[in-house]
Amino acid sequence: MDIIAGLLQTSILAGGVLALAALGEVLSERVGVVNLGVEGLMALGAITAIAIVTASPNPVFGLIGALGVGFVVGMIFASATVVLRANQVLCGLALTLMGTGLAATIGKAYSGMPAKATFAPVEIPYLSELPLLGRALFTQNILVYLIYLVLPVALHFIMFRTRHGLNLRAVGENPAAADAAGISVQKFRFWYVAAGSSLAAGAGAYLTLAFVPSWSEGVVAGRGWIAVALVIFAGYRPINAVLAALLFGAITSLGFVGQARNWPIAAPILSMLPYLGTIALIIMPVLAWHRVRRLMAAPAALGEPYYRDVR
Amino acid sequence: MSATTNTAAGRPPGTPPIVLLKGICKYFPGVVANQSIDLEVLSGEIHALLGENGAGKSTLMNILTGIYQPDAGEIIVDGYAKAFASPVEAIAAGIGMVHQHFKLVHAFTVAENIHLGWGETPARISAQELEARTAELASALNLAVKPDARVEDLSTGEQQRVEILRVLARRARLLILDEPTAVLTPSEARELFKALREFVSRGNAVVFISHKLDEVLESSDRITVLRGGRKVATEETGNCTHQSLAKLMVGHEIVLNDLRGRAASAASLSPQALLSLHEVSAHDDLGNVALNGVSLEVRGGEILGIAGVAGNGQKELSQVLTGMRAVASGRIEVGAKDFTGKSAEQFAAFGVGHIPEDRLHSGLAPALSVTDNAVMREYKKPPVSVGSWFRPRAATALAETIATAASVAVPDFGMPVRNLSGGNQQRLVTRREMRIAGKVLIAAYPSRGLDVGAINTMMRYFVELRDAGCAVVLISEELEELLNLSDRIAVMFHGRIMGIVDGTSTDIEEVGLLMGGKPTTNPPLSVAAN
Amino acid sequence: MARGLAIVLALVCAGLVLGAAGANPIALASKVIQSTFGSSFGLQDVSLLVTPLILTGLAVAVALKVGAWNIGAEGQFYAGAFAATGIGLFIPGPTVVILPLMFVGGALCGVLWILIPTLARAYAGVSELITTLLLNFVGTLLAYYVSTGPWLDPGGHALGTTARVPHSVPEIWGDVHWGFPLAIMLTLVVAGVLNFTRWGYEVRLAGSNAQAALYAGIPFRRHLITVMLLSGAIAGIAGMLEVAGTVHRLQGGISNNFGYLGIMVAVLARGSAIGVLAGAALMAVILNSGIILQTQGINTSTVLAITGLILFFTAIGDELAHYRIVPIETAKK
Repeated sequence: MDIIAGLLQTSILAGGVLALAALGEVLSERVGVVNLGVEGLMALGAITAIAIVTASPNPVFGLIGALGVGFVVGMIFASATVVLRANQVLCGLALTLMGTGLAATIGKAYSGMPAKATFAPVEIPYLSELPLLGRALFTQNILVYLIYLVLPVALHFIMFRTRHGLNLRAVGENPAAADAAGISVQKFRFWYVAAGSSLAAGAGAYLTLAFVPSWSEGVVAGRGWIAVALVIFAGYRPINAVLAALLFGAITSLGFVGQARNWPIAAPILSMLPYLGTIALIIMPVLAWHRVRRLMAAPAALGEPYYRDVR
Repeated sequence: MSATTNTAAGRPPGTPPIVLLKGICKYFPGVVANQSIDLEVLSGEIHALLGENGAGKSTLMNILTGIYQPDAGEIIVDGYAKAFASPVEAIAAGIGMVHQHFKLVHAFTVAENIHLGWGETPARISAQELEARTAELASALNLAVKPDARVEDLSTGEQQRVEILRVLARRARLLILDEPTAVLTPSEARELFKALREFVSRGNAVVFISHKLDEVLESSDRITVLRGGRKVATEETGNCTHQSLAKLMVGHEIVLNDLRGRAASAASLSPQALLSLHEVSAHDDLGNVALNGVSLEVRGGEILGIAGVAGNGQKELSQVLTGMRAVASGRIEVGAKDFTGKSAEQFAAFGVGHIPEDRLHSGLAPALSVTDNAVMREYKKPPVSVGSWFRPRAATALAETIATAASVAVPDFGMPVRNLSGGNQQRLVTRREMRIAGKVLIAAYPSRGLDVGAINTMMRYFVELRDAGCAVVLISEELEELLNLSDRIAVMFHGRIMGIVDGTSTDIEEVGLLMGGKPTTNPPLSVAAN
Repeated sequence: MARGLAIVLALVCAGLVLGAAGANPIALASKVIQSTFGSSFGLQDVSLLVTPLILTGLAVAVALKVGAWNIGAEGQFYAGAFAATGIGLFIPGPTVVILPLMFVGGALCGVLWILIPTLARAYAGVSELITTLLLNFVGTLLAYYVSTGPWLDPGGHALGTTARVPHSVPEIWGDVHWGFPLAIMLTLVVAGVLNFTRWGYEVRLAGSNAQAALYAGIPFRRHLITVMLLSGAIAGIAGMLEVAGTVHRLQGGISNNFGYLGIMVAVLARGSAIGVLAGAALMAVILNSGIILQTQGINTSTVLAITGLILFFTAIGDELAHYRIVPIETAKK
């Protein structure tokens, strides 16, 4: 019983990293820009959070710092891909390399040390006493609630129930149509890419301030890439993305449980599960029924730079 | 024949034109798109903008709607000088455009598309609310649309109505339409112009771009002709004729020849069909039925025209006829042999050439060199390939031969083929296909994007092939072209052949009816030629 | 030309950042040049680095020819290294037999590593970019697992390495082994096949426009699969050569990010064989600099970051080379 509660609790905690990163990527891809730099952004966010928290032990500052760094880096990425219309795949890979490398270089000084301040789990009065669910659902750090409840619902509402969201989605589906309708394609793309990058960096901060919680080279371990894959699997919808992240969190925590209980499978092998699982999941949507596929389809103009004045 | 010339009655004297363009210039690298163009559009008129492909009509209208910026010149709306940095500013000034390629989001519903980027859309939306508002608008403006349908499920005619509704809902006073009847049957086109007449009678104006002389003469009040980026003339429609307009468009007298006559030396009709379809059905890329029990045959020495509004299965037909698409049922025979299920390569080996509808997308590899593209159909044989070896020098030599025959000047055969102009790419592909079209040539919309001179040259190619005993299948949306060339015309509608008529004895009316899905009163010709 | 500018710009930027962080970029640069080109050992080191880079670069470049992104060269590298080590350690026999077996095993394991992404792409249209990349992590974990677990060197004191593999690729000059000329030859052979055979023409056509290939009667899917598997094999060979020629053991970090740097090489190469060789040489010098400068506080992660910067400027430069940017005047109200 206790194990299951523990499993659930860890699943939610672990999934939070992916969920936040995936939400950021949803924002970016919904306006038509694929950002493959999530891995690098997470690394940057992670190290920024640690560095700030080491200097002044308040996790909120760490988080805000990470979000800020992510936003600024996102603006640089957007300048290249949206304003200058450089190849999005190459720029994304470049961002991953730069971010991972830079973070590792800076991170040498912080390697292995536990974070000086973290987002610790908070026990919600009464509810956290409930059996099973009490520990799993109501004894989590505050970011978990933001990531799983507030953010996805807010993003879903904005994207699907407001005029702003309609325009946003049009930018990703058919920028020429959006342009002709008077929507500023470049503005939408620029700011949403920056916002998405900010969330990705925030996921890195969550990683080092709430989940692990410490920095080491390679701490991101491909979670950025898994998040990108999750977005595809989730049909580019915020609520689905968070649920998919939860599923992943469960797979990851299964690995932890296995290690803790000395299952006969070696730790590195268990660690392979999330990656193999992602590959399986990414193949699934293709096998889905035609009408479902239509609903989950990528924004039609994803990955294509938009030129208005072109012959 | 021409529409009633608009009198000034109803327009107080001294009213400025709705839109006045003065001295508009626009240059692209290597091309003068517009040079010092003046255009005046008066309220209450339907003004046609006429010119060949590449004359600068679309560019000019894109400037007027804020998509392009003019390099020189002024835009004056209702007497005030304006500059539109983006489409939203043009819309705000009351100028709306329905483009040839609709600016609709396919994944959205009609209601969502109508409300896109619109200031009057409420900040919070729900599907029901949007659909209700759309229904209201549609009935107020007398346009039939289905608010909850996804745009990608609609026919092109329906999509056009959505586009028009979208533009009119923004209270446009000047409605610009780019080649509006390209996707309509003759009767749908008539309906459209009726609606446009109603629109301008309320003090608005319409500019429509066209290259079809018939349409322009019938439906406009005044005509402005563009040629080579310059304005050549603005005339009252009542003062124009077919000949005078054609002369203005091209710069010299052109006679659209009736090319159906044959010299004595021309090959006669082959006794047997070279290519035939028996009850063929096929699906499109989305899995829907595109061809439904189609039976056709074509013999050597004849040109079979395929008429019909684009989107009624012609693309799939051309793919089935060249082995690019599998048939779901039915039989294909080529040269009296069963070719059902055979590959594109086998069709080509037999001698079936194909000028595809979308040259750049299916006929060419844009990033590869001119040489690599030119040898695409013959690379397996010597001299280009010997055994498993590919010989670049022999390939280049072949490419040079094709380019010369096609009158395409290529500065560097190693450069990507996308650097060639559209017209040059076209000519290259046509020549390449004609070389292998030993028996049959399937040409899908071959005159798209070409100017009149190039079209005439291509028509002569087809006649050459016909007189040499080949069969030519010509899929086209230009009825005039079909009537001038075809011995027989098959009309497609919703994936079926509505009827096959004799080229000499038919006329636009009959074909138009068939295109619209109405069977003729005359008994249709049998599938086979006499 | 734009590429050269991008590289110079990136290096200058890196120099500025290093300067800001307190190091002296000029001194570092001169140390690098001296160490690399000034001694035989330096040149040997670069040659040793060039070999895997040529091969991973070739692997990615070849996949690009058919329009596929093989970001999984790193994982395929490890897979090849894994197979080679396994065969070398546990199959008895003379070197003249085992070494070729290791070669074949390395190639096959590389193929295995790219197989599922290939099939997913060919039959389900799934993005190979992500699937190949995810398998990188699995590959790294696999190498880590065997080198710290079942294959851990029983006699040694190091924690994360296998025993020394008893079969080595013979050397031709100092530490540089036959893998170096082999890599160059392989590149030239692949380029020759792509440009001078019918199959090569078909692959190039298929990679440029799948529709046109269909039209020309080319079996696109078959060529896609063949080329992608070839790409995996080449990356696997890179791993095998690294084990059998350079390191002689399997360790967790045996790849200096060769797989990722190979992507950079392929992008710089722009599809030409000479480009692959030149690009690999450049990346080898940069990578070597990172190793040389480790004593100054620069580590291989910094090299990775600088590589990313080069890629970034290259991507931007490529786009700017096509278009002029013209500012739009806003409307006069």
